[in-house]
Amino acid sequence: MFPLFAPVASQSPADTSTCYHCGDPCGGEHRVHQGKDFCCQGCTVVFDLLNEAGLCNYYELERQPGVKQAASVDEQRAELFALEEVRSKLVEFSEEGITRVRLHVPQMHCSSCIWLLENLSRINPDIIRSRVSFSDKELTVTFREGTLSLPQLVQLLRRIGYGPQVTGGGGKRRELPHLLLIRVGVAGFIFGNTMLFAIPEYLGADGEAGLKTGFQWLTVLFSIPVVFFLSTDFFRSAWAGIRSRTANIDQPIALGIVALWTRSLYDVLSGTGPGYFDSLAGLLFFLLIGRWYQAYTYRALRFDRALEDFLPLVVLRRTDQGEEAVKVAALQPGDRILVRDQELVPVDAILREGTAHIDNSFITGEPLPVRKAVGGTIKAGGRQRGAAIELEVLRTFADSRLKQLWAEQETAHGRPAMPRLIDALARRFTLAVLLISVGAGLYWWGRDPAQVWPVVTAVLIVACPCALALSMPFAYGHTVRLMGRRGLFLRSTEVVERMAQISTVVFDKTGTLTAREAHRVQWVGTPLDIREQALAHAVARNSTHPLSSVLAQELKQAADPACRVYGAHEHAGQGILATVDRTTVRVGSAAFCRAVDRPRSKGEAQVHLAINGAPRGYFSIRKQPRSGIARAVQALQGYYRTGLLTGDVQVDPELAGLFAAETIRTGCSPLDKQEAVRQQQQQGARVLMVGDGLNDAGALAQADVGVTVTETSAALTPSSDAIMDAAALHRLPGFLALSRKAHRIVIASLAISLCYNITGVALAVAGHMTPLIAAILMPLSSVSVVGFVTLSTWWAARRTLG
Amino acid sequence: MSVIFLLLTISTLMAGIFLLAFIRSVRKGQYDDDRSPAVRILLDDPAPAAGPAHVPITHPIANEPT
Repeated sequence: MFPLFAPVASQSPADTSTCYHCGDPCGGEHRVHQGKDFCCQGCTVVFDLLNEAGLCNYYELERQPGVKQAASVDEQRAELFALEEVRSKLVEFSEEGITRVRLHVPQMHCSSCIWLLENLSRINPDIIRSRVSFSDKELTVTFREGTLSLPQLVQLLRRIGYGPQVTGGGGKRRELPHLLLIRVGVAGFIFGNTMLFAIPEYLGADGEAGLKTGFQWLTVLFSIPVVFFLSTDFFRSAWAGIRSRTANIDQPIALGIVALWTRSLYDVLSGTGPGYFDSLAGLLFFLLIGRWYQAYTYRALRFDRALEDFLPLVVLRRTDQGEEAVKVAALQPGDRILVRDQELVPVDAILREGTAHIDNSFITGEPLPVRKAVGGTIKAGGRQRGAAIELEVLRTFADSRLKQLWAEQETAHGRPAMPRLIDALARRFTLAVLLISVGAGLYWWGRDPAQVWPVVTAVLIVACPCALALSMPFAYGHTVRLMGRRGLFLRSTEVVERMAQISTVVFDKTGTLTAREAHRVQWVGTPLDIREQALAHAVARNSTHPLSSVLAQELKQAADPACRVYGAHEHAGQGILATVDRTTVRVGSAAFCRAVDRPRSKGEAQVHLAINGAPRGYFSIRKQPRSGIARAVQALQGYYRTGLLTGDVQVDPELAGLFAAETIRTGCSPLDKQEAVRQQQQQGARVLMVGDGLNDAGALAQADVGVTVTETSAALTPSSDAIMDAAALHRLPGFLALSRKAHRIVIASLAISLCYNITGVALAVAGHMTPLIAAILMPLSSVSVVGFVTLSTWWAARRTLG
Repeated sequence: MSVIFLLLTISTLMAGIFLLAFIRSVRKGQYDDDRSPAVRILLDDPAPAAGPAHVPITHPIANEPT
């Protein structure tokens, strides 16, 4: 329903069912509950919860609208919301036990979400009212705090899959500027009325002298807010340009506004004419619409991030008295902390109790968890998958790896400035206008000094680059919208222009080119028959380990419901032992299956299989490149140089074949990546970097355009110029082609508007610029340029993106 | 003909009132979210019997300051 990361309709083959709640394929954990298919326990629980509350309408509005538990952001513990500093950011109103909070809930994506979130009161009667603002992905909840605390409310939201997220920015909301919208409205009002008052003048209503002067004075009255309220931004920007000795497009505009107003005022006061007040109001109306169109942004996405956004702000510390929630920044070396399933380790630490399965995908994009035994070091930013673990803090937050990664990103200020077309044009334009008006003034001085003032002001008036100033906001603004519909969300219109000048495209490998969830599984050993596959599937299904679910998914075709698993026993971190139809099956590490440990390449995981004690071989599990990557990279190579930066030691042959050998750099630290981008820039290249994890943050900030790839809008992404839906990555060549076309469209529209200006100036120099001609020429040029730009961008997007 | 002055005053005043209404609606945030209202109107009101403790809209909180 909404283009912002609506989940891709599951294109499951006919034989597999999809989850009634979240729409994911029901893989290893398939269960049937109340006659409906579910993919996991989490989804079933949510269904029951909604069913009890009579909220099953949720499933009627959209098909499979739910959010999987694991997919929701749960970096932030509910305890966090008890902290006063967090609470004060969220609470809008609190009186007599009734509190209203505003929460950011990035998971909402469809009308079912809106319906459910606005009917929270039916789940818990202490919630009085809840209201969604979809554009901001924000939820305002009014509740009785006496009986339902804020952490409890957060827990409730998290249970139904809509856990709120606290961002570092906190209460600071990005709003569509109200003032700009009001200015557009006022400009429209004045434009309409002034035109109406000008009509008698143009139609030649000479008889009613009193009426005419009355109208003229009304237009004078209306012009005052035009100059002193609507135009202030243009004056301010022009003045800032003059003070910093740089040319900008607002300077000729400000000059035009001043010329229009003083000339019109002079005409009315001296009784020589009606003035150009209608043109003045029209000019501001169009310019402000352009500004408003350009100001559009994807408010629901966060392009800027603070480090605190990425981390749990509080963590459970174990003390002699029990457990207490402490702020991460307050942790001291030697403290014991608890990290539960799916939680991030916030500081560098040593494992003291439990088995850690650390998933570093958040830092590197690598999805397969790494096992750590007691005594092992775990670096900050890893996510625990499995039972809760106890850690001893090794370094304070400030000294931990994450903080250092962040500091590196902050140093990436060396991004070379890119000259903007409009600024270069503005300089010449202003100069030309001034020269022409002086020239025309001198010419008329010699012939008829009375004409100097009208001619010079007329030149300044018609030269006002209204159409010129509109072409760029509309061309790029429209491009941003068209790209957004197809999965690339740009931070601002200015990014389009930078994209158009890119010469090199650099990719991160893990998590960017390779998918987070898709894996390629290969069996190494003597081939398994269908029954053995069924045994392996049955056992793998009984394990919660991430590799097991990959395996269960892979062996789904072999699944045999007759295989009954008895006495499945999971040895944490080693494997699972089970008896299936009197056959003992072990699935797990080489040691667990008593098999020979094979050397393995980076990024590869091995799951061994032993049947009745005899090792049979192993499943080699690797990440798989995203679909369409090969075609996309080859298409890019027609126009751009490409490169690959990876932290891994080696690259799969499949991906390595796509890039020239000398453009692949392996074993890169985050700083190396940033440095590699800078070297390219020093050689004169303009670099677009595509990355995903926090380890790309520095390179993304250094690159001329940094694009972050993400699979859900709820994911945390490093700061960047653009956020891309991972499913749209294969369209990258199309997006870049569209940006180049948009650039050409801008140049064409600039040429058109220059033609208008030249015609107008010619008329003005000759002394024929009457208010009527100005009133026709100015809107005509603006409307035709905007129309041309909008249509051609739309057409270009259809051609390049389909 | 002087009636035109009267008409003019009235029409300008009316336009001014609409302008003020527009400014007020922008300030109140009516243009902040252009998506959910369009969806909300399609959603049925919850049936009062179905859920526990349906809170009527006349609750004091409906009139809280914004």
